[in-house]
Amino acid sequence: MKDRHLWACLLFLVLLLPVLVAAQGGQPPSSVGASAGSRSSVTLEGREIPVPVTISPSGPMFGLSPLVETLGGKLASDEAGESITLHLADKDVVIGPGNSIITVGDSIVSLSQPPTRGEGGLQVPADFLRKTYGDLLGYSFEWHPETSRLIIARRGNRDLPVSLDVVHLQGMTTVVLQFPEEPHYQIDRSKPGAVTVQMLSDRLMPPSPPREVQDPLVQGVTVEPQQIRLQLAAGAQAESYVLANPFRLVFDVHPTSSVEVPATPAEHGAQAPGIRTIVIDPGHGGAETGAIGPGGVQEKALTLELARELAARVGRLGVQTLLTRNEDASLPLDTRAAIANQNRADLFVSIHLNSSLGANAHGTETYFLSPQATDSRAARSAAAENTAPPGAGTAVAPGAAPGGEQKDVDLILWELAQSRHMAESQRLANLIQGELNQELQLKDRGVKQAPFRVLVGAGMPAVLVELGFISNPEEEKKLQDPAYRGQLVEALTRAIAKYKATVEGQPAPGAAAPGSPAPGPAAAPGAAAPAPPPAKGTPAKPPGGTGKPS
Amino acid sequence: MSRRAASFVVGFALALLVGGGLWWWLPGRGGARTPGAGPEAAVPTGPPVGFQLYFPADGGGLRAEPRALPVSEAPKDRLRKILQALLAGPKAPGLARPFPEGVALGGVQLGADGTAYVDLRWPDHPDPPPSGSTEEIQRVYSVVDSIVLNIPQASRVVLLWNGVQRETFAGHLDLSRPLAADRGLAAP
Repeated sequence: MKDRHLWACLLFLVLLLPVLVAAQGGQPPSSVGASAGSRSSVTLEGREIPVPVTISPSGPMFGLSPLVETLGGKLASDEAGESITLHLADKDVVIGPGNSIITVGDSIVSLSQPPTRGEGGLQVPADFLRKTYGDLLGYSFEWHPETSRLIIARRGNRDLPVSLDVVHLQGMTTVVLQFPEEPHYQIDRSKPGAVTVQMLSDRLMPPSPPREVQDPLVQGVTVEPQQIRLQLAAGAQAESYVLANPFRLVFDVHPTSSVEVPATPAEHGAQAPGIRTIVIDPGHGGAETGAIGPGGVQEKALTLELARELAARVGRLGVQTLLTRNEDASLPLDTRAAIANQNRADLFVSIHLNSSLGANAHGTETYFLSPQATDSRAARSAAAENTAPPGAGTAVAPGAAPGGEQKDVDLILWELAQSRHMAESQRLANLIQGELNQELQLKDRGVKQAPFRVLVGAGMPAVLVELGFISNPEEEKKLQDPAYRGQLVEALTRAIAKYKATVEGQPAPGAAAPGSPAPGPAAAPGAAAPAPPPAKGTPAKPPGGTGKPS
Repeated sequence: MSRRAASFVVGFALALLVGGGLWWWLPGRGGARTPGAGPEAAVPTGPPVGFQLYFPADGGGLRAEPRALPVSEAPKDRLRKILQALLAGPKAPGLARPFPEGVALGGVQLGADGTAYVDLRWPDHPDPPPSGSTEEIQRVYSVVDSIVLNIPQASRVVLLWNGVQRETFAGHLDLSRPLAADRGLAAP
């Protein structure tokens, strides 16, 4: 009897054991250190390193701490312990245990599986290592499932050609270093008056012939195989950021407030003011319907009708008008502003109809760009504009220029384009909103600011007009009436006429009579528009924040 | 049945019972297999904390709705709970859901520089809902303001749609760069 009980207890324990193990691990043990005798291993150039490896159903996971000790970098945890930061090659890699999204510098990286807490601290998948140590420091990581072995090696040093562009605009110099691939580098600012880009594993091929730099803020740029050195003028300081496709390391060099910067010849030569060409942009188009009213009216159709009518009426003011689209076709937002820039337009007016969540929204509103849409470069540039006359280059859409080197300069100009016209944009917006109120006695939702993409690259005063809410059944019905749309267009035309008169120093006129002679219908995008951009007065810094200007 | 066989059966049954109980009870095991929960779901929560959630309001703009949410001290946990409550919709009249039903929180991340990354997911909808500018502003800033005006560690927000950062959601707002809060939109 005692034997039977003994056997039963033994049997119970034997059966209980695997169940307990499964409860602890969810599967048979596979988490092992890469020490001698274990199945999984990690080797760095033939040398085994003690890294815990866990084989999960989604793939292998590797203990991060011993890898950081071996490969370099610094780990830090936030106070709450929910985010871990790996500082590596001048970049912060932010990791949230259990979250498959990490950030590497300013980039978002999605991993095959989320890092988890486990043996050896944080456990990370192989693609984490490739996106961090691989991309930043030039290591390669090859996982061999048949032998459960991770082989780490240093990739051979690459010979990377580098091209250099320096552009001075509106009191600020931008230095663009372009590489065919992202180099492994770190930026050293320890020496006063200089910034050094130190290569960690790559060799640089300097531009040939060497580029001479004559700039009020940058005394010289020296490219050597292991480093690039920017020598700054006294009182200048540099901030850096990167642009992708192709990889560019960009330095914005600007003076401290006490330093005066002479204007370059390109910043002189302003031409006679005038409004000769206006680009009108019917919002949305093609697959992008825009707002859809409760009765099924689509914003894209009505904006095209309104834009065509506006082009015809504004044409009677003796102004050439261009439409960004004259059919139901989709058009990227940057391309719309680029059409205005390429045609050297003096005004850009984007026509939209509105919709709202919730009920009862109605009325018109006019937007110009908010400072939030411009980055620190543009903000500084707007401030510097108080000391530099306008008239410098006109931006085309990023990537639209035929020459590769020119693209860099174009991209910089693109993001600066609207910042120097915001005061004039606000003035035009005020005129438009005033005329809409006077003409239609609608609810005045006012002049507002928002970071609207279509306005960012416009190198002239630019506004986005919302001519009513098609989400509101009453306004949707009115907007389908051609006579009502004619009233809206008439108000816009009067505002543009007033703006034109003030720019050209003439008394403000009334609106052009509908029956007055017209120089012709709206031209198609890309039609020749040789008129130069007008010289505008120095705009005051626009009010901050989004929404209604104060 | 012999006593020996009976002991075997009883032992086996007990082993299954105890093992199964442990499987269900141990934290991070059975619970982690329920849909929507992950390792992050194990963050311990404290007593409810008061927040202001910014919902789209009638007439355009946003309006704050006070909420008490059980959260931990961790900023990312607070961020997640705030967004889950925001996506679930308002309780007060005159307010609207910022996104259609079915839009869910895919993931959140909070960078050391104060940038919060929010991934919104809507299966079978590759594009966000089409809209006019006011609607897009209400959608985007309901998220941005609810985060930045409640979580001191977050100063700006990057929005992703189905895991991808887009130039814009509905053809107006520039979402290619982080957005700061717009206090002018958010009426208390």
